[in-house]
Amino acid sequence: MSSKRERGLIELYNDDPERADALVFGRRADKGADGVGRRGFLKGAGLATMGAAVGASIPFAQNMPSGLFPAAMAQTPAAGAAAGPKVLKMDGKADLILLQEKPLNAETPDHLLDDAVTPVEKFFIRNNGLVPEMPADINTWKLTVDGEVDKPLSLTLGELLNRFTLKTYRMQVECGGNGRSFFAPETRGNQWGNGAIGCAEWTGVPLRDVLQAAGLKSSAVYTGHYGADPHLSGDPNRPTISRGVPIAKAMEEHTLIAVRMNGKPIPVMHGAPLRVVCPGWPGSTSQKWLTRIWIRDKEHDGPGMGGASYRVTKVPMVPGGKTPDSNMKVLESMPVRALLTNIANGTELPAGTREIAVRGHAWAGEKTVRAVHVSVDYGVSWNKMTVQNPHNKYAWQRWQGKVAVPSEGYYEIWTRATDSDGKMQPHVAGNWNPQGYGGNPFQRVAVLVKA
Amino acid sequence: MAFVRAGLILAAALAAGWWFAATPATATEDEPENLPEGPGREETFYSCTACHGMAIVTQQGMSRARWDDTIDYMMARHGMPELDPADRKLVVEYLSVHFPSRQRGATNPFLKR
Repeated sequence: MSSKRERGLIELYNDDPERADALVFGRRADKGADGVGRRGFLKGAGLATMGAAVGASIPFAQNMPSGLFPAAMAQTPAAGAAAGPKVLKMDGKADLILLQEKPLNAETPDHLLDDAVTPVEKFFIRNNGLVPEMPADINTWKLTVDGEVDKPLSLTLGELLNRFTLKTYRMQVECGGNGRSFFAPETRGNQWGNGAIGCAEWTGVPLRDVLQAAGLKSSAVYTGHYGADPHLSGDPNRPTISRGVPIAKAMEEHTLIAVRMNGKPIPVMHGAPLRVVCPGWPGSTSQKWLTRIWIRDKEHDGPGMGGASYRVTKVPMVPGGKTPDSNMKVLESMPVRALLTNIANGTELPAGTREIAVRGHAWAGEKTVRAVHVSVDYGVSWNKMTVQNPHNKYAWQRWQGKVAVPSEGYYEIWTRATDSDGKMQPHVAGNWNPQGYGGNPFQRVAVLVKA
Repeated sequence: MAFVRAGLILAAALAAGWWFAATPATATEDEPENLPEGPGREETFYSCTACHGMAIVTQQGMSRARWDDTIDYMMARHGMPELDPADRKLVVEYLSVHFPSRQRGATNPFLKR
């Protein structure tokens, strides 16, 4: 197939997948009793054509929903963009997917998230502003705790470390917008796939110990976090982002003012020398380059707290439409998600492969993961995987197992997690909201068993 | 005390500049010419890049109404200066023509080979 033909095909699918199915493969949506398309018909010449297009037979083609391009996985951010994804080239970092350079944002390809503890080089990068300069003497870094407290604190880094006991936990930090690229129509912001997640070993002072030392007043309701990252406009009086959490989450024992990441001082890119780690909640609550915690007597109203920022709808809205601010509420716990991490999207498996060992990680914000299932036949049948308990609360969980493939050809490995409340990942990103939070459709990975 | 010692070790490591460089090795030049040609290209480029790179714009596709709403969002949330009405019309027109709402999907890894 010529490259011209390939581009044409992709464009056709981008424009109107059901029409493309009908034109290219003679496949038409099968209307169910309710008039809604179910499975696509795909047989005869159409099936042969699609097989030729992917260079293999498609064993479970009859299960493939209509309008679904084989491996139309939108795995990569900006799948619809003209150019392919860019790769970050940076000292100390793996080949992350570069979303933008100013501010710098880069996501980890799913298959680089196989380590139990995510190494610094594979940890995603999320910035809202510029990376701050570090002072010549890092010990002069100062943290202020003020607002609704009895004794406002002003501590240098050294004072903080000498006064409080350090704790270490493995905890996932996930961008609130992880999965944004799966929304249709597109939502505003960086088009993250599934890789705005990492589970590092964080060492720090429990935030609650510091808040107890400052003495919370009964009027304390919410935290407001501030960092040293300069605003992109250069305006020194404009905080880049300032979000916070209800006091109960701030007082949860795993919420840390972290000083080390994987046993070493936090790298500058990840928030040196002090950052909040507020596990299971949108990463924007885990303020990097922390300088101040302002205890508020109401929900914090810093930049990033209002409007559609880090907020989802109370009552579902029409995708692509408008909804008043009064219909928005703060996104708290992140939703359940699982990733297959030992096989990259687009992997060719050796001829004769009939069983595939699969493994990965799963997590669910404030919850734990109860089950992970894998399908290789477009969701017609699901295979139960084994799921390990978390190393500690908020650490992602290892899952693993085997799936059988009956023949050579093209398969998609679908991975779906269920959280401790029984909530499963959906097929599509639902609950559309203007800035695309909470999108957690299950992951799809294409493989080709060679003939 | 153990945690005091831990603090000293940390401070020493920080003083030694353990962290890696904070900027990518290669920076991409943002130029108006890298954007699709058309009326409003310059106005769009300079309105956006006063603060941020173009990649956050070019990785998105939205309807005219949502691009227009995005200008309001950029002013309210990120302190973007108000555009004069003629420029705003040009910018929104340019964005909605060249970065329209798109269907997603269709990047089969085996078709790229």
